[in-house]
Amino acid sequence: MLKSIYGALAGLAVLVASGTAMAKEGSGGMPQLDYHSFAPQLVWLAIAFLALYLVMSRLAVPAISDTIDKRQGKIQGDLDAAEKANEDTRSLVAAYEKRLADTREEARKLMRERGEADSAAAAARLQALHDKLAAQIGEAEKRIAAQRDDVMRGLEHMAEDIGQDVYTKLAGQPADRAALTAKIAAAKGGSR
Amino acid sequence: MHSPMEQFEIKRLLHLKIFGIDASFTNSSTWMIIAVILATAVFVWGMRQRALVPGRLQSVAEIGYEFIAGMVRDNVGDGGKKYFPFILTLFIFILFCNVLGMVPYSFTPTSHIVVTFAMAAFVFVGVTIIGFARHGLHFLSLFVPKGVPFVLLLLLVPIEIISYFIRPFSLSIRLFANMLAGHTMLKVFGGFVVMLGIIGGWAPLAFIVVFTGLELLIAFLQAYVFAILTCLYLNDAVHLHH
Repeated sequence: MLKSIYGALAGLAVLVASGTAMAKEGSGGMPQLDYHSFAPQLVWLAIAFLALYLVMSRLAVPAISDTIDKRQGKIQGDLDAAEKANEDTRSLVAAYEKRLADTREEARKLMRERGEADSAAAAARLQALHDKLAAQIGEAEKRIAAQRDDVMRGLEHMAEDIGQDVYTKLAGQPADRAALTAKIAAAKGGSR
Repeated sequence: MHSPMEQFEIKRLLHLKIFGIDASFTNSSTWMIIAVILATAVFVWGMRQRALVPGRLQSVAEIGYEFIAGMVRDNVGDGGKKYFPFILTLFIFILFCNVLGMVPYSFTPTSHIVVTFAMAAFVFVGVTIIGFARHGLHFLSLFVPKGVPFVLLLLLVPIEIISYFIRPFSLSIRLFANMLAGHTMLKVFGGFVVMLGIIGGWAPLAFIVVFTGLELLIAFLQAYVFAILTCLYLNDAVHLHH
């Protein structure tokens, strides 16, 4: 069964091959070399090509170049606008930063001035206090000195009185006041 | 089962004669017109909104435009701006004819040497006219390479002249042969699929699938090559220096 199918196929192949060869001989070679067909091909090539050329040059090329130009213009315009916006932003940022720096500088200056004023006032107050204290100390020293002198003077009187009393008691007569004073002064000088 | 060459046969669908010239509407004409209509659809209908943010079809049109505009800018410079619509038309026409030829049961107009040679010859004649119009007889200095000893020039100038006149042939045969070979190959392997049947036909079928992808690449590549070589020839004519 299968073999008969193969046989039939082979026969068919041979038939087809011989038919092909016959057809080839019958047609007389390449259709491309049949010069009777040249004229209609050339006429219609000219018609078709000219038609396409007119369509392309009059309709398609202007339409496409116009569209591409328009798109290019739009893109360029958008790019320019973006560039400008970018530039504006940059200058805004620069202005902001400059203002920020100025403000900071001003604040620093204010703080410095304030600090200087504060320390000057503090120094002045300190000086005043210092002076006051110094004056009080001086006064107090003067007072002490005065008191000491008083005491010393009192002591000298007391010494004279005591000396006179002692002398009166011992000698039984009042002592010579001037001599006594000189003696006390001498003793005082000696004890020093 | 047909010959692999049968797909290239010109079939007259409508017999026409204009001024004694056979201008019959053929299967080739049909697919040329379909290519023009589809290209118009992409480039005119697709651009109808002229949106700043393009949709799908508009993107396709703009990519095609930018692709060829870049090619002309890089290879010809500012002097090539005038010829940009022509190069764009050339590229789009060949590309659409090539790619539409990949549709089953369609026809590939660019698989005929007369079509590709007509375009190549038009480019050649046009470039030569532009060269002489811009530079006068000075255009002939194109055949004289700079900084070469005189003795060598005796050899190089004929070579330059031959290579110049070979341009339309190499340009047209490259495109025609690529289309012819690709489609013939697909057809032959398609025949193998039928011959080997359901048991052995899978291998040529797999090959066809892969080869179809390659053919699509070649369809684009050959349109690109045709356009860029036209740009290079144009550059010679516009700027003269090699």
